[in-house]
Amino acid sequence: MISLFGLYRRRRTPMHLAPAWFKVLLMLGLSVACLIISEPVTSIGITAACLLLLASTLPPAKATLKGMSLIIVIAALTTLFQVWRGDYIRALDLAGDLISIAALALAIASSTSMEEMLDFVSTMAQPLRWILPPDTIGVMVALTLRALPEAARIMVEARIAARARGMDRSLRAVLVPSATRSVGFALQLGQALHARGIAETGRRRKDVLPSPPREREKVPMAPPPVREPEAPAVPVKESRRERRRRLEAEAAAGAHEPGPEPALPSFDEVVTGAIPIVTEASHGGAPEQDEATDASSPETTRWGRLSPARRSRRDRKD
Amino acid sequence: MIEFKDAAVVAPDSGVPILEPTSLTLTEDRISIIGANGGGKSTFARLINGLVTPVSGSVEVDGLDTVKRGADVRRKVGYLFTDASAQLIMPTAIEDVMLSLRRVIRKRGEREKAALDALREIGLASKADVSVNALSGGQRQLLALAGVLATTPSILVADEPTTLLDLRWRAHVGALLRSLPLQVIEVTHDLDAASRADRTLVIDLGEVVFDGDPKEAIRLYRDLMFGRASQGATA
Repeated sequence: MISLFGLYRRRRTPMHLAPAWFKVLLMLGLSVACLIISEPVTSIGITAACLLLLASTLPPAKATLKGMSLIIVIAALTTLFQVWRGDYIRALDLAGDLISIAALALAIASSTSMEEMLDFVSTMAQPLRWILPPDTIGVMVALTLRALPEAARIMVEARIAARARGMDRSLRAVLVPSATRSVGFALQLGQALHARGIAETGRRRKDVLPSPPREREKVPMAPPPVREPEAPAVPVKESRRERRRRLEAEAAAGAHEPGPEPALPSFDEVVTGAIPIVTEASHGGAPEQDEATDASSPETTRWGRLSPARRSRRDRKD
Repeated sequence: MIEFKDAAVVAPDSGVPILEPTSLTLTEDRISIIGANGGGKSTFARLINGLVTPVSGSVEVDGLDTVKRGADVRRKVGYLFTDASAQLIMPTAIEDVMLSLRRVIRKRGEREKAALDALREIGLASKADVSVNALSGGQRQLLALAGVLATTPSILVADEPTTLLDLRWRAHVGALLRSLPLQVIEVTHDLDAASRADRTLVIDLGEVVFDGDPKEAIRLYRDLMFGRASQGATA
């Protein structure tokens, strides 16, 4: 699916510097040209130009490939169908048209900020200002785009919840909560817009003066908490050969001097209680093991958790 | 200055009172509101911003009626929600702050600069171009705060702003709210934060049952909660 989200990056490419109206005009012009021109060579030329234009915006590779993949699959299927019919020229033309328009759309998405689009839509909506404030129409477009991933997230969560309740096949268990939650989200969003005063009609009135800022002692602020990624102790992707070489080098340097292996007690010794149970608390030098531990709670031993069944067997043998 | 004049709110369908007629004046820099869930704290807070309108009486902010001059009141009063996700509309952090500034600054270049400044002040400048979906809960709350503060309100109403945050972010957002040079009214379940206010209101069953010293308020709140819990247990 082509998504407008996550593609835009602030850069200074020619496409980024071009105004939004020019890009939209370019999109319309090229789309019409693609539909009119049915000559394969010209189609391929336009496709190449559109792909170059997309590359010139330096879009994020992963998101762009994801955006293009579905169109490429559709273009391939269409081409196959046309080839099967024996219409090779039309096959090339159709595939070229589809890829061109998708590439151009992505080029615009990756070079135009939502804010720019909002300004463009607001300007275009000026003739309708007697019916609706232009800013409201712009915000409506932004909200529609914002609501799409949110609606998808709500659907996914509703499906997981239905599955957790054992209602995998119930369409109602997915659709009803999705609908109610979507309405709830819309209400919340509406309240937030209202609270932020976005798209509210009317200019600032002259009798409303901004209040002077209050005197307050400046509290020194720590930077926001950010979790720094820890450097891995060993390379993340280590081949077996590399690992063997590293271990050999470490052994040669005496870093991993293999000491005598501690003799592991047998299972019976553990079960019969010949080996004292080491709980997590006593392991860390904490208070001694509590004798009156609840029978239902599994004890943690050096070798893992002792289930209540094994513990009762041990107690019986005692 | 915020003035409640016999302001009352009832549920629109059932007519059940949500907030009994309340009269008080809020002038202190830091005011905290505590109380049980469903007690009417958020309704009280929303009255200040004009998000909820009283069925009787009135609420005035610096002499402006929240019903008659709602848009002007909202220019003065910023509102921070518990869940910042619902407050963020645009795809990236800087664009969201720029959206708040649309009604104040018309030129895009100036708007972008002001938005960057707002993000820098709050410590999120490095996340300006990051998608809002990629931010953590704490960062989203900070971004929502930046969006509110960018429009330079004189009053900030925060409805449980730290409820969904972990301990580190709670401390950070709490410290940030304390350092702001404006009147902050915070609805909270965090009694530490409530105790640092200049004045605390306890709202219970739609009524302001206490208004005064934070320590006294917290003591009363504990009594109310545990007294009710023990009554529930015996019943």
